[in-house]
Amino acid sequence: MPAGMKPLEKFLKKQTTALTRAGGFVGGVTDKASGGTGASRRRASLSRVVPFFRETSPESGQAREVFSPDSEDPPSWPSAAGTGPVSVPGSANSSGSGSGDVRSPSLSSDEQSSEASLVTEGGGTPLHPDTPDNLTLAVLDSVAGKRFGHCTETLLDDFMLTHPIFLTADRLQQVLLQQFSFEGDRGGREGERREEGRGGGRGGDEDAEAAMMDAAERKQAVLNVAFRYLDTYRELLQEEGERSNSFPKELYLCAVQELTRYPELVEDVLKLQRWTEILHCPSEEEKESRKKQVRPLFRHFRRIDACLQPREAFRGSDEIFCRVYTPDHSYVTIRSRLSCRVGEILALVREKLQYSEDQPVLPGNLILVAVTSAGEKAVFRPSDEAVFTTLGVNTHLFACEPSELDSLLPLPEEIHWSPGDSKLHDMSAEEVSNQLVVFDWELFSCVHEVEFVCYVFHGEQSRWRPLNLELVLQRCSEVQHWVATEILQCQSLPKRIQLLRKFIKIAALCKQQQDLLSFLAVVLGLDNPAVSRLRLTWEGLPGKFRKQFQQFESIADPSRNHKSYRDLITSLRPPLIPFTPLLLKDLTFLHESCKTFHGELVNFEKMHKVAEMVRIIRRYRSSQLAMDTETSPSHLQTKAYVRQLQVIDNQNLLFDMSCKLEPKDT
Amino acid sequence: MPEQSNDYRVVVFGAGGVGKSSLVLRFVKGTFRDTYIPTVEDTYRQVISCDKSVCTLQITDTTGSHQFPAMQRLSISKGHAFILVYSITSRQSLEELKPIYQQVLAIKGTVESIPIMLVGNKSDEMAQREVETKEGEAQATSWKCAFMETSAKTNSNVKELFQELLSLEKKRDMSLSIDGKRSGKNKRADKLKGKCSIM
Repeated sequence: MPAGMKPLEKFLKKQTTALTRAGGFVGGVTDKASGGTGASRRRASLSRVVPFFRETSPESGQAREVFSPDSEDPPSWPSAAGTGPVSVPGSANSSGSGSGDVRSPSLSSDEQSSEASLVTEGGGTPLHPDTPDNLTLAVLDSVAGKRFGHCTETLLDDFMLTHPIFLTADRLQQVLLQQFSFEGDRGGREGERREEGRGGGRGGDEDAEAAMMDAAERKQAVLNVAFRYLDTYRELLQEEGERSNSFPKELYLCAVQELTRYPELVEDVLKLQRWTEILHCPSEEEKESRKKQVRPLFRHFRRIDACLQPREAFRGSDEIFCRVYTPDHSYVTIRSRLSCRVGEILALVREKLQYSEDQPVLPGNLILVAVTSAGEKAVFRPSDEAVFTTLGVNTHLFACEPSELDSLLPLPEEIHWSPGDSKLHDMSAEEVSNQLVVFDWELFSCVHEVEFVCYVFHGEQSRWRPLNLELVLQRCSEVQHWVATEILQCQSLPKRIQLLRKFIKIAALCKQQQDLLSFLAVVLGLDNPAVSRLRLTWEGLPGKFRKQFQQFESIADPSRNHKSYRDLITSLRPPLIPFTPLLLKDLTFLHESCKTFHGELVNFEKMHKVAEMVRIIRRYRSSQLAMDTETSPSHLQTKAYVRQLQVIDNQNLLFDMSCKLEPKDT
Repeated sequence: MPEQSNDYRVVVFGAGGVGKSSLVLRFVKGTFRDTYIPTVEDTYRQVISCDKSVCTLQITDTTGSHQFPAMQRLSISKGHAFILVYSITSRQSLEELKPIYQQVLAIKGTVESIPIMLVGNKSDEMAQREVETKEGEAQATSWKCAFMETSAKTNSNVKELFQELLSLEKKRDMSLSIDGKRSGKNKRADKLKGKCSIM
């Protein structure tokens, strides 16, 4: 929800005006499937990349096609056998990731290959544009060792990370199963194409033997790809329950039948059996006990004991409590799944408020509205899902009748400590920055790789929502507003100057620990107009702090496509946390600057580029930060404080507070 | 109607299933439902007359379980008046009010000027009664608070409960909107005198 954070807008504006000038780009599966206006969907996804980005684009009449310089020219593509219109991908409910550990889909991934791919794949096209099915076959061929001239690992990784964009899970599974059971040459066009690497025909027995070997290689390839798929999408498949278990089960049954002829497959068969256990629907009791734990997502429902635990990734099936307000600021608390549809939320609210048929006046249709602390409103559609993680820090959900929409007023800001009472004064910059960094790592580690892809590609229509990634963005906003709130709540000038010093020091320490998320969030917080206008406060800063801050500000300088920031980040070695909003902006720009489809053919070059960006993120997370294990009371107090920040995010209010501290010069 | 600092905050506590939500909803919406939906925390706002003006009565309906101790402590510290509900059909539910009372006492320091009402709900269930009226009264006496038996189901004593609670508040002169102390005749007289009585 846009909450008007000016410095972040400025920071990211330059790139996005270039984007809007190029025109929103229509492309991708969601447009095909839903038939909605691609342009509006594109704008919507952009506004979520930059949480505070306001739509500045004028209505662009026709979406102009912008081809990536590396993509193929359309005319020269062969028309492959159509597989029919590609249906909406991603039939699962949510995303999620293992707790804490770095998620790399490739078990055998080596730094080497991804490094190499960065260098060698620069100009070359790994795969020609093709239909989704053919691409799957091409990957299988590559894994089976039948393709030359590129890196199998890269291709497989590209495919794994991006296939939900152009291929449904069902279809992929279908193709894999088909290919496993397929015996002998594949006829027709595909067969001919696959013959490239081989010589001409051979005779009799040799043919049969070759066919056996071919089949064995093929089956092995299918299994390798299948395992890779299961590893990557494990949590997602677990969310789907028994339905997703049919795939490993079927594959297992097919493989078992082949064991006599292909005994070398026995290890893989056992592996498949383990997978059927992993994806087996949990028993009712297990479900119940997991249900009991409702996870704290909103400030009101946080418990200190829960906050101090290491953060676990959120899944769509997780249950949360949520407050839904009515126009007079009454509220009810409902309990729902994170992935819940808006229609269901409204049904729960109606039930709570005891709307029943025997009421004298039937309430009209309720709508769900997000209202920011500054009073901006956004209405959800009943089909929208998992809306909770998209809310701004102090944005609240309202249920009202359509006629009441205009008169909705935001809730008053509530800070449970009075000016001058902040605990921050008693904490050292080192303690605070350590806790910021540790928490950022927990949050960042919870984001599954595929969330980065689906954030950009699916917008709000996706059934698989990048929940944990949205929480990282929320945190970024929270930290920015925390800085401004703390300073503006501090009424004594000398203390305020001390705070300023402290924040600059905190920023420096975050930067030192390579947490660029909090580093820049603090810098942008200090750049908030309500803060930067406090002339007396800034003038009270010793020279060296001011100089240091100016250096930090220059890193935040967006000119020349954020050159300063990019220079900094390339000079760092993992582990590091990137400034996530910019990362997502880059991904969005990549997505919008070239087409995903040309007709029915997938632009795989684009998929490759997307995967490259994800591999960069993977590198950032490739080593683990040492976990925090201290338990002294003051330490825990700082930890709890950092994880339960209370902020004001109403820019108008912040500005008013600022003017009270240092009135405008007349 | 943004929250103002002159909101009057009433908090309703009690064990699970005694009828807190039913009482609140009966009062606020006039409805009653047999189905049990456990509450986490709901708050209802209603405009009432206060001194010579209006203010907002804010009624917080809490959870019967103890999931959010911090939230509970916060609502006690911010609350102006408290309703402690038990069910006359369950002795256990009266017992469970004791620690809650203690906590109010601990956080507020004193209950002297704080309106507290002990409520025995489900008075319609005479056959299942476990707690006699006298016992409720005795408990209220020992706690130095008011006492009432109610039935949300039959709408008995519900409005009276809230009206009585408001009248216990000595720092303000409050009354409910429609069935307030002022009768129709007085309303008109007040209007003529230039007084604004109720919404």
